[in-house]
Amino acid sequence: MSSAMAPIQIKADRAGFLLIPDPEASFEAVMAFLEERLEQSHDFFHNTEMVLDLRKSPMGSDEISALCTRLHQKSMVRIVEVRLGEEVSFAVAGAPERKRVAPEAGRRHEESAPVIVRNTCRSGVRVVSASDCVVLGDVNPGAEIIAGGDVIVYGTLRGVAHAGVGGDQSARIWALSFEPNQIRIAELVAVPPRGCKPGRGRFEIAEIRNGVIQVVSL
Amino acid sequence: MAGRTIVVTSGKGGVGKTTTVANLGTTLAKKKNSVVLIDTDIGLRNLDVVMGLENRIVYNLVDIIEGKCRKEQAMIRDRKLSNLCMIPAAQTREKNSITEEQMKELCSNLAEEFDYVIIDCPAGIEQGFKNAIAGADTALVVTTPEVSAIRDADRVIGLLEAALVRNINLIINRLNARMVKKGDMMSTEDIIALLSVPLLGVVPESEDVVVSTNRGVPLVHDRSSKAGAAFRGMAGRLDGESIPLDGDAGGLLGRMKRLIWN
Repeated sequence: MSSAMAPIQIKADRAGFLLIPDPEASFEAVMAFLEERLEQSHDFFHNTEMVLDLRKSPMGSDEISALCTRLHQKSMVRIVEVRLGEEVSFAVAGAPERKRVAPEAGRRHEESAPVIVRNTCRSGVRVVSASDCVVLGDVNPGAEIIAGGDVIVYGTLRGVAHAGVGGDQSARIWALSFEPNQIRIAELVAVPPRGCKPGRGRFEIAEIRNGVIQVVSL
Repeated sequence: MAGRTIVVTSGKGGVGKTTTVANLGTTLAKKKNSVVLIDTDIGLRNLDVVMGLENRIVYNLVDIIEGKCRKEQAMIRDRKLSNLCMIPAAQTREKNSITEEQMKELCSNLAEEFDYVIIDCPAGIEQGFKNAIAGADTALVVTTPEVSAIRDADRVIGLLEAALVRNINLIINRLNARMVKKGDMMSTEDIIALLSVPLLGVVPESEDVVVSTNRGVPLVHDRSSKAGAAFRGMAGRLDGESIPLDGDAGGLLGRMKRLIWN
């Protein structure tokens, strides 16, 4: 049986073993195949950590937990992480914290659609986007906009904006008027100088230049 | 036709919710509307003190909801106005002794009988707040010209929008015109630019408020008070009259108008 035809692929990478189920295969076939492989390989997988990659073939939560339990019973295999989408994954309860591999700097997030907020973000609102985030309104003090890519505010930015959360240093923050509590790009943090009055009515952009966050107007 | 249910809320404590409820309620009652005020600040009631009705309390809001009394038994009639009454909160119970559903039912029952049901909301955004806004169709958000109060008002407006309360109006309390002129206090325009909700009225800072609260007589009974005039203006606007906002400033025109109304 070639590995391409297998109902579930077991790959090894730097982070450990990766389980990638075939979208065509049924859950029963996946389970049967896994049990057979563990049986054949004797103690090779004993006491290892694995990552379940469900980006191509979604599974129900009961199926995930059944799979975890079975693997653990069979040869003490622990599923430490389940990947659901490009930016969405969750660590399985009880698993030790693993260091995430930071995405390469400069990578753009063009593959997923931007999040568009069509009203003013008031205090207490938190918007999280894997790619860009566009706010058609103000961002008031106490609100947080967090984006993997750029943050674009068609209004006054008075709250907190964090662009390039994954470490993207080329991410920028755009706003019609800048009066923020704090802005963050990648791992840098900046606060506006005291007593600084913003120019109204034209876009201002915050970006990283020479290792510091600078705000320039268009 | 069913009456209006109005919740007066703020997020932050001590900005003047209870004073606003007492004064708007009294003015609306003076305009020949039937009005009931509900204090939902269970455990920390004080609308009864501001209205000067503390010693008449027998039953309270929780008693009505738990079925220990009829709602007419818990309503305390005002000393001066027979068409104004209030339902006090329970002082010895907690906020979670009533639910949002129960509050909604009580409000809709009261709105059948009264022109205005005005709800005094507790500070905070927890269960007490949720109970208070559950049955309301209009919200009045009270804030003072302080950054902390405005931040909380912003949060509360967000929560009201999320709870689908249709009409949200702003009341700015304790504005000191002299300090605004010197640039030491946020102006009305700054506050509206930030909160972006329609303004119902501005109440100037005044010592009369403290005196009237301590005496247990709502300010609007005192004709010479500027703060009282501001509350009368707001009540008029709520009642559908078109009164310009700057009429509250106490100018000659404003004073003449006030003479005509009362």
